[in-house]
Amino acid sequence: METTGGNPRCGGAAYALLGLLLLTTLTHISALSVTVNDVECIYEYVLYEGDTVSGNFVVVDHDIFWSSDHPGIDFTVTSPAGNIVHTLKGTSGDKFEFKAPRSGMYKFCFHNPYSTPETVSFYIHVGHIPTEHDLAKDEHLDPINVKLAELKEALESVTAEQKYLKARDSRHRHTNESTRRRVIFYTVGEYLLLALVSGLQVVYIRRLFSKSVAYNRV
Amino acid sequence: MNFKERGDIIVVLSAILLILRSVESIRFDLETGHTKCIAEDIKLNSMTVGKYQVVNYNEGLPLPDSHKITIRVTSSYGNNYHYAENVAWGHFAFQAADAGDYMACFFAADTKPSSFMTVDFEWKSGVAAKDWSNIAKKGSVTAMELELQRMYDTVQAIHDEIYYLREREKEMQQLNISTNSKMAWLSFLSLLVSLSVTGLQLRHLKSFFQKKKLI
Repeated sequence: METTGGNPRCGGAAYALLGLLLLTTLTHISALSVTVNDVECIYEYVLYEGDTVSGNFVVVDHDIFWSSDHPGIDFTVTSPAGNIVHTLKGTSGDKFEFKAPRSGMYKFCFHNPYSTPETVSFYIHVGHIPTEHDLAKDEHLDPINVKLAELKEALESVTAEQKYLKARDSRHRHTNESTRRRVIFYTVGEYLLLALVSGLQVVYIRRLFSKSVAYNRV
Repeated sequence: MNFKERGDIIVVLSAILLILRSVESIRFDLETGHTKCIAEDIKLNSMTVGKYQVVNYNEGLPLPDSHKITIRVTSSYGNNYHYAENVAWGHFAFQAADAGDYMACFFAADTKPSSFMTVDFEWKSGVAAKDWSNIAKKGSVTAMELELQRMYDTVQAIHDEIYYLREREKEMQQLNISTNSKMAWLSFLSLLVSLSVTGLQLRHLKSFFQKKKLI
C-alpha cells in the first residue's frame, strides 16, 4: 500500500493498515508427531471468537508385525469453557474443522483405548479473516486486506491437505513394508516347518520299523 | 518529518508486528519423571527454528526450582542437534543436514510427589522459519509486498512438497510391484519345496525298506 505525502488522510490510512495487519494473523503449528500411550493433550490458543479451527491427524502405527490393523484412537476438542466442541471416535486418521464459539485456550486430546503405543501425526491451524467487528469505530475495512487474508487461508488449507496426504502416505508405506516383511517371514517359516514335519514323519516311520519297537509285528 | 516518512515507518512497523504476531505455539503438559517427544519432518537443508519455555502461571513470581526441563533434539540418524539440561526456557536454530524426522524430547527430573508443568513449545521450519523481520528492515518493502512474497514462498514450498509426494508414490509403487513378484516367486518356490521334500521322503523310505529287506 502506497502512502503518498501531502494528504492529511494518509496518516489515518496507515494506522488502519497497522490495525488490520495486526488482525490478519494466522496461527498454526506444523505437522508434529506425538506418541500416544493413553491420553495426550495439546493446547492451542484461539485469539478471536468465530475463528475457523481446522486440522487433521493420522495415526501411524507402531510395529504391527503380528496383529491386524490398530482399531483407532479417539479425538476430542474441549473449549476453554469446558464443553466438548468436536469429537471423533475409533478412527485412524481424519480431518476436522469447526468454528470456535469463543476465544481462549482450546484442548485437543488424543485417547488411545488400547495398550499398544501409537504415533499420531497432527496439524492444527487457526485461521482468522478480518471483519468489521475487529476494527475500531473510525477505521475502514480495506477489501484488499480481506482478500489477502482469504488467499492466505486458501494457501494454508492446501498446505494442510498436503500434510494430511503426506502422513497418510507414510502410514500406507508402513503397512506395505510390514506386509512385505510378513510375506517373506511367513513363507520362509512355512518352508522350514514343512521340512521339519516331513523329517519328523520319516523319523517316526523309521522308529516303527526299528528292531527295538516291534520287529515281528509288521 | 512529513507525512510520507511517517506513513512508511508505520507500514514497516506494522509489517514487523504482523510477523511477530504470526507465530503461535503449542502447549503440552509434562509430568515430572516422564519424557515427551515431539517429532517433525524437516526437509533437507531447510532452516529450522525452535523456542521452548516452561509456562509460569504466577505472573511476577519466579518459577519454582523443580520446574526445569531437559531437552534434546536429534535427527532420525541419531545426530544430536541441540541439548540443554535443566533449563526453564531456551531456543535453538539449525539447518537440517539430514532429511527425515527430527525429534525434540523433553524430560522433567523426577520429584516426589510428581507434578505437572506446562511447556510452551514452538517449532518452525522451512517457509515459516524465514526471518521476515530482517527482510522488512533491510529494504523499504511495503507490508503488502512482504505478504505477497511470503505467499509466493509458500506456493513454492507447496510445489516442492508435491514433487516429494510424487517421488514417494513412485517408490511405494516400486515396493508394491516387488512385493507382488516376490509373492509369486515364493508361492512357486513353496510348490517346489513341498514336491522336493515329498520326493526326498519317498526316496529315503524306499532305500530304508530295501535295506530292511521289506520290499
